[in-house]
Amino acid sequence: MTPLQKTDLLQGTLDMLILKIVALGPVHGYGISQRIRQISKDVLNVQQGSLYPALHRLQKRGWLVAQWGDSENGRQAKFYQLSREGRKQLSREEETWQRLAEAVTLILGAAANQEA
Amino acid sequence: MPRWKNPFRTRNDEDYDKEIAFHIDELTQANVSRGMKPAEARRQAILEFGGREQVKQQLREVHSSRLLTALGFNLKSAWRFARCSPSFSIAIILILAFAVGANSAVFSAMDAVVLRPLPFPDADELILLGQHDVKNRDANRFVAPVRLEEWNRMNSTFQSISGYYMDDLSETSGPLPEKVTEAMVAPRFLRVMGVSPILGRNFTPEEETWGGPAVVMISYGFWQRRFHGSPDAVNQKVHVGGFASSIVGVMPSSFAFPNRDVDLWAPSAPDAPFAQRRDSTWFTVIGRLRAAMPLAEASADLATVQTQLGAQFPRTDHDLIVQTTPLKETVVGGVRDSMWLLYGSVSLLLLIACSNIAALLLARTTDREHEISVRFSLGASRSAIVTQILAEVLALATAGSLLGLLMAAGAARAFHLLSNQLPRAGEITLNWRIVAYSLACAVGTTILCGLVPAIRGTRRQLAYSLAQTTRTQVSRHSPLQWTLVAVQIMLAVTLLTGAGLLLRSLNELSHVSAGFEPSHVLTFQITGSWGETAEMKTLVQRIDRTLDGLRSLPGVDAAATSGMLPGVPALYQFEFKVDGRLDPNRKVLADSRYVSAGYFQAMQIPVLAGETCNQGTSSNDVVVNRSFADRYLPGTPPVGHQLKGATYNDFQPQGTIRGIVADAREEGLNTQPVPTVYSCFTAPNPFPNYLVRTRGNPTEMAEAIRRRVHELEPNRSVYGMTPLQGHLDEVSFENRLRTLLLAIFAGSAVLLACIGIYGTLNYLGRLRQREVGMRLALGALPRQIVTRFLLQGLRVTGIGCAAGLVLSLVATRLIDSMLYGVSTLDPTTYGSVLLLILLVATAASLIPAWRASRIELVQVLREE
Repeated sequence: MTPLQKTDLLQGTLDMLILKIVALGPVHGYGISQRIRQISKDVLNVQQGSLYPALHRLQKRGWLVAQWGDSENGRQAKFYQLSREGRKQLSREEETWQRLAEAVTLILGAAANQEA
Repeated sequence: MPRWKNPFRTRNDEDYDKEIAFHIDELTQANVSRGMKPAEARRQAILEFGGREQVKQQLREVHSSRLLTALGFNLKSAWRFARCSPSFSIAIILILAFAVGANSAVFSAMDAVVLRPLPFPDADELILLGQHDVKNRDANRFVAPVRLEEWNRMNSTFQSISGYYMDDLSETSGPLPEKVTEAMVAPRFLRVMGVSPILGRNFTPEEETWGGPAVVMISYGFWQRRFHGSPDAVNQKVHVGGFASSIVGVMPSSFAFPNRDVDLWAPSAPDAPFAQRRDSTWFTVIGRLRAAMPLAEASADLATVQTQLGAQFPRTDHDLIVQTTPLKETVVGGVRDSMWLLYGSVSLLLLIACSNIAALLLARTTDREHEISVRFSLGASRSAIVTQILAEVLALATAGSLLGLLMAAGAARAFHLLSNQLPRAGEITLNWRIVAYSLACAVGTTILCGLVPAIRGTRRQLAYSLAQTTRTQVSRHSPLQWTLVAVQIMLAVTLLTGAGLLLRSLNELSHVSAGFEPSHVLTFQITGSWGETAEMKTLVQRIDRTLDGLRSLPGVDAAATSGMLPGVPALYQFEFKVDGRLDPNRKVLADSRYVSAGYFQAMQIPVLAGETCNQGTSSNDVVVNRSFADRYLPGTPPVGHQLKGATYNDFQPQGTIRGIVADAREEGLNTQPVPTVYSCFTAPNPFPNYLVRTRGNPTEMAEAIRRRVHELEPNRSVYGMTPLQGHLDEVSFENRLRTLLLAIFAGSAVLLACIGIYGTLNYLGRLRQREVGMRLALGALPRQIVTRFLLQGLRVTGIGCAAGLVLSLVATRLIDSMLYGVSTLDPTTYGSVLLLILLVATAASLIPAWRASRIELVQVLREE
């Protein structure tokens, strides 16, 4: 599939994706970008120019906790982890997203029915 | 200008670099594993990552605090604002420095003297206890040692009760006798005070009983002076009053109780044979309340105890009640009113300074209308502009307060010089409380001075302001400015009236005839011990011998002793029986004073009838003053009547009236003479005041007198050598100091009010340049312009004066008790104050009025 441009990501969606990835376990910035790409089967390709500011913003809000540690190949890397607050925020965002997605699907479905 | 730097930025930047480098390395690694050559892999990775600097800048923005950035910006603009009109800024800083400095200085004194507890643990629990004879009005509240022990044993509201009395003795270990002040303390003294020695130990119960080992504790000062702070001082001996005592402990330097002069503390045994009489009273008694015990409950408890004692010992205890006073009250009660008066005045001064600065700032924000409206049109929010103006004021206020703090620090040092006259002056220091107070003053002034101009200055409609390219309109701000000026004048009038009344009463006092002649009299004391009173005859002979020796010195006109110094307040009133009769409807109350032969000669108090005290006679002669004779013995020749204390007390004055002397203000120059009984007795205590009248300057005789005393009494030391005038000055010192300070504050207030009038008129003059220029061009006379401006200034002055008069009428009631010979409604004072204010206000208005009338229209038009 062709990758979506970053502008196609809904505002705030990137934050949710990052929180979701980090929720799977401590991970560094490079790891996050790789996983988003892998899991979305190359649809989503997050630009570093948005990834890092987003990470730092989430850290500043207290949703992520950062720590320097050794990466898989033994290099110093900054690992991000979800805080308790972050976990709550993630579930809130997931819920909002579900409702939004359902609503959008409904509308799209209705439009399709009318067209038909 | 250098960019304002975040000190954390460099450290954060390294972290960003590391994080980004790791990402690029990982990308490179991935590329290599896909089969690229390392160099190419790295190039691709860098390309893929994109603008590294942009990412870093974004990260910095995420982390930079908005508050800090705004603060930085506002500080920068404040600096620019202060720099672009230096004279204006300096004027504001100086006004504030003075007002805040004076305020902080007075506050530091207030805080140390009045507000803070005494320097003992839980000092609020310390209560001064006195016994008071309801039948006598004497001010003596000393307590008999036996009674002290009974109070301590029988009460249920005090942790413990102790007491002390003072001896001025000679320490004779050194080559010359040194005067030392010894506090003889009842048992439990340190427990009551809540203080422990820093070296050695407290007294043991054995040492506090009669016949126990002779021991002393020494003060920190004595320890340093005598033993240079050596720890070996403990167990060494001191030779005091003819006895050798071992030092058992050294007290901390902060412990200066009963007074700063105390050198030694020694136990006074309650079971001593001479301490058993219920009517020989000597202890000043201090009790420590149980924790959280209300004073009223403790007073009631002691009253019950004393009632029981009254039933048990009706002869001595029936008429006694217990007086309870918080210890702090007895230390600082006398100066509290003065302190509050000064603090109130100096706060009014700060208020005047604030309204002054507010007026100046109002004028300035009007000048900046254009700048402000441009900023509005560029999208600044009103709150942002208000914040900016406040930041500018805050910067000035902080600078002013810091300068003021320096001034307060200097004042704290000056206060230490007053430690003889001001209780607790040594405790006045510049501490964090004072710093916090000054900074609070800065914030307070910012809000008071800055908020009104800031809100006013930003209220105008943008379009309206920008349309007003010329400034010919009379500013709509001026009513507010004039109100501020009127407020300044009002407060200045109030302060000036208070200062005027105090000055007038000081002037009245200096013209009072004392009834005795304080000049050319040298006073001093010679050490002695209460133990000597056991052999009264020897004591009297010793003092008489010394007096004779002094009288034979060339240049000495007269010499005498007295129990209390003339003109130094120490009212000691007794009720007397005349010829053995007691008239219940007409109490004979009189001040009791002990004087030796030669006293009236030395003090130059005229003898009206009969004779005065003779040397060598018994203590059964008394001399009364004219008030006594006129009030209690009218119509009869007073000489020959018998006087005796009305209640049972061996220590009451008694005797036959030998003569009458003129009234003298013995109880202080500001106190009317009261009926007085002078008992002829050379030795009312072992260290009476010597009064020596000299032909020349009394201080020049000091050395000769010292030498003569040393010849006569080689083991005693002379101390407290001061001309009598010095003692009188000390008594009136508080009065003079507060008058001086209030006068300075009032003077500054007037000066500030003048700056207010001047500044406002000057500003108005500039604002109306064009109008005035136009008028002049159309034929108005400069005189008319001057009159217009002058009248404007004077109208506001008049309103301010009227309001100030009303305020003064109320405010001067507060100082009623501090006045002497002047009513709080004194027309002279009020008249002079109004005249002075009108004069200086006219002067302050004339300059800007004259300047306004010299406008050249052409020049104004050219400038615009």
